[in-house]
Amino acid sequence: MNKPGFSEEQRDCLQEIINVAMGLASDKLARFLNTFVHLQVPSIALVGAMHIPEEFENRYQDAEAALVSQGFFGNEGVRGEAIVLYQMENAHKISALLGYEAGDVSEIEMLTDISSILTTTFLNGLASQIENSLSYSAPRILSSRHGNVADVLKNTSFHWEHALKVDISYQLIDHSFNCDMILLIPGEAVSNIKNILDRILEAY
Amino acid sequence: MSQAMLSNPVLAALNSGVIVIDDEYNIRYVNAFIERHGNMQLAEVAGKSLFSVFADLPEAWLKRKLMSVLDLNSPAFSSWEQRQYIFKLPHLRPITSSSQYMAQNCTMLPLATEQHEQSLICILIEDATDAFVYQQHLSRTLIELEKANRQDGLTKVQNRRYWEEQLKQEIHRAQRYQHSLSLILFDLDKFKDLNDKYGHLGGDFVLVELASFIGSLLRDSDLLGRYGGEEFGIILPDTGIEGAEEVAERICQAVADYPMLFNQQTIRATLSIGVAEFLPKQHFLHDDLIRCADMALYNAKRSGRNRVCCYQSGETDYHKKAN
Repeated sequence: MNKPGFSEEQRDCLQEIINVAMGLASDKLARFLNTFVHLQVPSIALVGAMHIPEEFENRYQDAEAALVSQGFFGNEGVRGEAIVLYQMENAHKISALLGYEAGDVSEIEMLTDISSILTTTFLNGLASQIENSLSYSAPRILSSRHGNVADVLKNTSFHWEHALKVDISYQLIDHSFNCDMILLIPGEAVSNIKNILDRILEAY
Repeated sequence: MSQAMLSNPVLAALNSGVIVIDDEYNIRYVNAFIERHGNMQLAEVAGKSLFSVFADLPEAWLKRKLMSVLDLNSPAFSSWEQRQYIFKLPHLRPITSSSQYMAQNCTMLPLATEQHEQSLICILIEDATDAFVYQQHLSRTLIELEKANRQDGLTKVQNRRYWEEQLKQEIHRAQRYQHSLSLILFDLDKFKDLNDKYGHLGGDFVLVELASFIGSLLRDSDLLGRYGGEEFGIILPDTGIEGAEEVAERICQAVADYPMLFNQQTIRATLSIGVAEFLPKQHFLHDDLIRCADMALYNAKRSGRNRVCCYQSGETDYHKKAN
């Protein structure tokens, strides 16, 4: 395994940035949804992208699951692909919150909308902390329903070297839903991110 | 030329639509692409509501998207695959495309503005008509491919793989709903002699002719497939052994009475036919049912051909193979 070479300090710094980004994202979501959003501290892990499929194989084995991918790219060579994974059950919960009514839009549009909102609010929060700004590709469904999640992940994560795994769990007053977000990052972008982290660490 | 001045001719030449609106949905800017395709001038639409200028917009849906752009300060997307178009604009391939309007990928972006300034949204519209047309071609091709994948190339009846799949499904259905189900297997008598006498083209002609003729004798729900060589099978849903035997006798007789004209020569052919009924307690696999019908078929061969034999419960061994 190609071990992602983050020092402990860099790792702590990244966790802190992600915590804040998550906080910013949930604050925006709360305003948008007009409800209180409680957020758990997201657990993050850096793994070799090749190990991603096995990480998720069990959790998404039986239930209907969906994967939506969205590319992001910013200044200073920050780029990658964000994948949101969730059980369809959870997707239906949040679609109701977002004000979709059955038959209003297609299931695919609903999934891409939710994923795009979760991904871009979170990554915008992340980018603002590192004084960057990101552009996004349109969200694309990798699979939904009966597709095998692990197989799809195998085909996708193959292109990347490192993956930042972020477990996200939002709780709203009447509802709760959780999903996983994976940030797939190519090798050279990891070193770019390391440089940025070092710069932030220096400033403190 | 300054950089700001450069952006104007570039925006004018851009082959994508650009619309800028404020947070009250009033148009602030449209580029030349929108002016041309929408048949409007910036001067006449500036300051007007987006929804009055483009009267056909899905207003509630679009407002929700735009609202999320403003509230979350993050982009929203719409793909032609889910919503073929948002703005009713003509496209540049009116001949080659079956679609009347430009298929679009739309991106709605929050524009950075100074504090206290009104928030702005930039709507980018990309023409995806080509992708839409390719996708339509692809869908049509896939349908044809799927059909080809089910058909026997020569006789155009179901091929063996697909026919066996159908048999498995029909067995499953018969088990679940306790319906009767029968199977006919038939084989052209002395096909080798036909080939020797009329050549392989003659043999092929007989196969094609008989497959189509026998197909015309069946009900819509009966499934005719080519099992291999000169052997065919018919799945008869909701049919018990008596009904199946009746169908088999009718086919046997009709084929014997059916002269076929090939190269000014009349060819006559006969069939040997085996019939078996699906018995849930004995046939655990579709292979078991095929084996029973096959045994009956060889009995028909052995007892003189051009006849129908039904599988007798308890038969276990094949009689000596005959042509």
